[in-house]
This record gives sequence, structure tokens and C-alpha cells, in this order.
Amino acid sequence: MRTADFVRFAWLSLSAHRLRTFLTALGIAVGIAAVILLTSIGEGLHRFVIDEFTQFGTNLIGIQPGKTSTHGGGGLGAINTVRPLSIEDALALQHAPHILLSDPMVQGNADVEHAGRSRRVTLYGTGHTFHRTLRMKLALGDFLPADDPRAARAFVVLGAKVAQELFPGENPLGARMRVGGERYRVVGVMAPKGQVLGFDLDDTVYIPVGRALEMFNRESLAEIHVTYEPTAPLAEVEEGIKRVLVGRHGREDFTVTPQQKMLEVFGTVLDAITFAVAAIGGISLLVGGVGILTILTIAVSERTAEIGLLRAIGATQRRIMLLFLGEAAVLAALGGLAGLALGAGIAGILAVAVPALPVHTPWSYAVVAEISAIVIGLVAGVLPARHAARLDPLEALRSE
Amino acid sequence: MRFPDLLDFAWQVVRGNRARTLLILLAMSIGVAAVVVVSALGEGARRYVLDQFGSLGTNLLIVIPGRTATGGVSPGIVVGKTPRPLTLDDAYALLRSRAVRKIAPLIVGAGDVRWGSRIRESVVLGSTAELLEVRRMELAQGKFLPPGDPHHAEPVCVIGSTVAREIFGATQPLGEWLRIGDRRFRVIGLIARQGQSMGFNTDEVVMVPVASAEALFNTDSLFRILFEAKSREQIELAKEEALTILAARHEGERDVTVITQDAILATFDRILTALTLAVGGIAAISLAVAGILIMNVMLIAVSQRRREIGLLKALGASGVQVRAIFFTEAVLLALGGGAVGLVAGKLGQMAIGQLYPTIPFTAPWWAVIAAPLTAVVTAVLFSVAPARRAAQLDPVLALSRR
Repeated sequence: MRTADFVRFAWLSLSAHRLRTFLTALGIAVGIAAVILLTSIGEGLHRFVIDEFTQFGTNLIGIQPGKTSTHGGGGLGAINTVRPLSIEDALALQHAPHILLSDPMVQGNADVEHAGRSRRVTLYGTGHTFHRTLRMKLALGDFLPADDPRAARAFVVLGAKVAQELFPGENPLGARMRVGGERYRVVGVMAPKGQVLGFDLDDTVYIPVGRALEMFNRESLAEIHVTYEPTAPLAEVEEGIKRVLVGRHGREDFTVTPQQKMLEVFGTVLDAITFAVAAIGGISLLVGGVGILTILTIAVSERTAEIGLLRAIGATQRRIMLLFLGEAAVLAALGGLAGLALGAGIAGILAVAVPALPVHTPWSYAVVAEISAIVIGLVAGVLPARHAARLDPLEALRSE
Repeated sequence: MRFPDLLDFAWQVVRGNRARTLLILLAMSIGVAAVVVVSALGEGARRYVLDQFGSLGTNLLIVIPGRTATGGVSPGIVVGKTPRPLTLDDAYALLRSRAVRKIAPLIVGAGDVRWGSRIRESVVLGSTAELLEVRRMELAQGKFLPPGDPHHAEPVCVIGSTVAREIFGATQPLGEWLRIGDRRFRVIGLIARQGQSMGFNTDEVVMVPVASAEALFNTDSLFRILFEAKSREQIELAKEEALTILAARHEGERDVTVITQDAILATFDRILTALTLAVGGIAAISLAVAGILIMNVMLIAVSQRRREIGLLKALGASGVQVRAIFFTEAVLLALGGGAVGLVAGKLGQMAIGQLYPTIPFTAPWWAVIAAPLTAVVTAVLFSVAPARRAAQLDPVLALSRR
């Protein structure tokens, strides 16, 4: 049997039963479409989260006070600690190897007031390079000036929303306002940043860090943000930071969290979720495989006579088996392709219809799904194909 | 055709094609089992979270310093500070409300705990004797923080089991003197092993009197005030009164946020239920695929059984009766698949339960009902087309051909 004949034979047997072929492929298609759609949403979410983080830059390192040997994040260290991080620590870090910027930060909640309007906002006490370390842009004026962070002048930079609420229709630059009961002069307004992971970054004000520490009556910074040369090896940078701070504190009582490590952790978690959801969707693929198995079993029993004839005129067992396996694989591949188109199509419609939902079809998953569809088809085809191949030609011919 | 005859007829067909029947049962049961197992996972996670919150104590309310105008939670509220601190006196002022039963102020910080040459950085909680009851904790040994004047900084501490093991090893910790930061504390009690409880591991903490924590961290500002309403009905009243009392103490300014445990619980409940429904729904897609399979097989069966159907119709069976035969067959298959799937799902759920004994995996009742029901409904829906085709067969033509 020549290959061309072989292909035509398989094709004929599929096209002879159009509806049957269609329904069997449909089973696989639904499974593949489910997997593609779900992974598209998962991958979209993944990218969304990564984007949210990388908008602050990737060569960023956060240093928090306190080192808990057991707790992963240094979140608790930001509250109270017997081992404070000071402004001097942040200044000293500027001289660590490969470091570009080092900016101290403390955050809190305070009242801001102007001309009878008051508002409770998130307050950041920062150094003068905060906007540069976190890649934030100014809409008006300048960020805080490069004063000595321990004795800075009373200037404030407003978040977009605060500027809009407290100074509707006016230019806030140069205006005097009250922040946490003290008088400040507005020197700049940040460009709108929107919500980042549920936190509104526009409902904020920025004041010099030394003044914020005084206002909150606290000793320790919440975090020091450090940026490093993008080409520098991360391990070396971390090492340098640790050396400087250990030299100042006597021991390692701080936590260094590189943005890249955080991204990796998030990436791993989100990938795991995407995979789990895809696996649940993949159950349908399994059921589709059972469908192929059933239909082929029926086909073998229907075509006993035909198989007998083929064997009688010299087709080998191997050839018969390949014939049915080929049929199964083509069925699954057709279903897989249709499912791919269906899934990607729905994902595309979703992306247009619901712009808030991030959707991105991961082509690696698409290829894996298509391959697994064919593999499932082949596996499902093995039993009926073997059954067909082992038919005794005499018995098979007589069955008609 | 009487109903028992109908059943018997369908049964004969189902039994006649063993391999086919088994495969359809397999497909159906995979779908049903998937829905049961996946929704059991979701439900288990939901119950686990709810239990964790429940173990924090009932009728619990939490005062957080700071507030944002836009509502919601801001980073400043979660970990930040406010110009006007929430003080110990603020906390005790809450007791003036008739709806408040107990309060426990809370200061949280990190400190290095030292004993001999061993050092361990751990979470230090400053609180009062009431915390034990408000947070529903249990003691393994010794006493909890002493009751009495909360402003009195007694040098005592209560430690969690992990801290005790890591620092003291085999030594009996009760009565020993620990050093936290630059102060000395005497261990007077051990908290019973409780494990993780909403991200807060009580095995990993050292508790000291609130005044000692104030001195240790050089602060007069509380991290939280936990308080308990007298009854479930009084939670809202307690919240209102707490806000009023604190506003009066803060020169009329409402600069705190009060959250109720019910609100948090309800949010988590909603999210996790939605999640369970979503994954259950995703798993149910496989039931649709199984439905397609049933349709496919039945269409084949219709063309194979032309003569049989033709004979039935020639004997006077109406179109409705022929349809009923196919529907009965479909329902039988779906019920069988559903039953097998439920058993398999239950087994799978128990197996996972063995792997993670702490999480209470149970399939929610709606999934147990909905999964087989969906199986039956899809089976019937997908057999509509084959049944119609069979019912519309012309008896003469069907019998005449071969």
C-alpha cells in the first residue's frame, strides 16, 4: 500500500461518516478550546501582574528592617522593630558597589488640608530620588528638592487625585497646605498612576522622610529602595548591600528583597494556578479521548468485513493497525485545530468585549494542547487498532 | 408499551453492547467525578479559611488606626503610622460602650529573642490578659500575661511552641529569663501549638505585657485594638459606638477604621464560593463532551437498528414511544455514569483528604446533586437529535432495506 493510498483510505473512512467524524472531533475540540481559553486568561493575568510590578523597574531592591528567620516577607518588620533602619543607612548604601540610587521611605496615613477642604490620604516620607527609583513621572513642578534628608524644608508633592480634590481647577504649585497639622508648600504634582494591585497610588502625598519620621514619632524607616546598574550581577549587588549594612549594624538584622526575586515568586505561583486550571480543563480532553476510543471500537466492529478483505489481499497486521491509529490521530488533530481556533477566537472576543480582563494566548500551551490531543487520539486508538489488526482474515470475511 | 417494558428494552440494549456501554459510563463518570473532586477542593479551602477566622474568636471587631477618604484599604493603613496614634487609653475607653464585652490592645513588632548564646528573631506581641480569651488561644503550660493595670510594664513573657523549641531545646522554659532587644523578660507560660492562623503563626510569637512592648519599641501607638461585642446582634452597635468614642477622644475626627470579622468572613466566603463554582463549572465542560459522545453513539445506534425500529413502528409504536426508548437508554447511561462518578469522586476526595488531613475536604451538597443531574440533563439533551431521527424513520423503508 503506497502512502498516498494509505492517506486516501483513512480520509475516505472519515469522510464517509461526516456527522460521526464531526461529533468525535467536536469532543476533542471542546476540550482543547477549554484549555486554550483558560490558559489565555491565566497567562493574561500573569502578564498583568508582572507589568504592574515592572512599571517600577526591574533593577530594584527593597530593604526592610528586621530579619525573621521564618516569615517569608519582611511585612511585619515595617511596624515596630528593635532593629531600626535609619536615614543614615540609606545614605551609606549609596556608596555600596553598583548602586545607582538609594531612597529611604516611610509610609502612613495623615490628614491633608487646604482652604477648608480636608482629606485623609496615604502619606509617603521619601528622599528626593523616590520618583526616580520607582520610575514615577511628575505632571507639574518638581519632586522634593535634594535637601539634607535629616533637615529638609517643608515641601510636599501631591498625588494626582489629592491635587484634583483639594485644588479643583487651580494650580496647586506654590500653594500652602497642612499635612498632618504642619504647614507645607506644594512643589509638585505627580502624574496619575492609577490603581496598582488594589492600592490607589494617586491618593497620596510625598514629604521629606525626616519630617515624616518626626510626624509619626518613629525611629525606623519602613523600607529603603535601591536601584542598581542593570548590567551588574544581582548576587554581587546584594552582597555589597549586606556588607555595608552589616558593617553599620554589627549583624544582619534586615531583609533584602530584590524585585526580580519577587517577580519570580509571583511568576511561579501564577504559573501553578494556570497549570491547575488548564489541567481541570484538560479533563474534558480526556473524556474526548474516551469518545475517540468508543467511536473507533464501533468502527472496527462495523468494518470487520472490510478489514478481512484487506488482510486477505495481503495487508500486514502492522498496516491495519497503522490505518486505525492514523484515523484516530487525524480525528484528534482535526478536533485539536478546531478547538485551537475556537479557544483563541473566544479569547479574542473576550479581550475586545471585556477590556478589563487581561487575556493573552500562550502559544506554548497551544502547541502542547495540540500535541496532547494527538497523543490522546493515538492512545485511544491503540486498543481498537490492535483489535482490528488481530482479526483473523477468514473469520472476518465470513462475518458478513 | 408499558414502562417496565420500556426499561427492560433499554436495559437489553445497554447490556447488548458491553464495550460501548462501559466506555460511555467511563466518560460520564470521569466528568461527574471531576466535578465532585474539584468542588470538594474548593469547598475544603473555603471551610478551612472560615474555620481559621472562626478560631480568631466570635463577635470580633478590629480597630485599625488611619482611614482613607476613598474607602478601601491603602498601604498606609495596613502597615503605616498615623500622626495621631491609637493609644492604650483609647483602647480602654472602648469599654464605656454597653455593647463591648472585652478589649485587647495589640502592639506588633519584630525583636531578637536571646537566651544564653542563642538568638532568634521573632514576632513580639504586646497585649493584655484579655487577648487569651478574645483570640481563643490555649495555654500549654504556665500562666498567661497577668491581669491588672495595663500601664504597668511587668518583665514577663509568654512564648509560642516553636520559639520554645528553637531557643530552649530540651530545657524547661518556664521561669527562665529571656532577653528581647535591651530588656529582660521571665517566661511564665507556653502557648499551645495552634499552627498558622490567617498568616499569623502563634507558635512563632513572644507575648509581653503591652506596656513592656511600648517601652521596647519606644512607641505609644497601638497596631490594632481587638474587641468583642456582647452578642452577634450588637456587633453593628459596638462598631458605631467605638467610632463615636474614638472620634470624641480624637477631637471629633474620625481617623480610625473599624472592621468586623463578619465583613471579612462574608467577603472570603463570597470569593471562595465563586471560585468553587467556577472550577466546578470548568470541570463540568467534560460532562458536555460526554454528552457529545452519547449523541454520537446513539446516532450510530439509530442507523444500526433501523430494522428493529421499523419493526416497532410497524407493530404500532408511535413516534413518542420510539423517542422514549432512546431517552430511557440515555438516562440509564447517565445515571449509571453519575453513580460510578460519585463513588469515584468520593474515593478521590478521601485520598486527597489523607494527603492533607488539616483541610476539611467535603463535596458541597449542590455539587453532589448538580453533577449527576447535569449528566442526566446533558444526556437527554444530546439524545434529542438521535431520538428524533429514529422516531421519524418510515417503517416501510426501514424494513424494506436489507
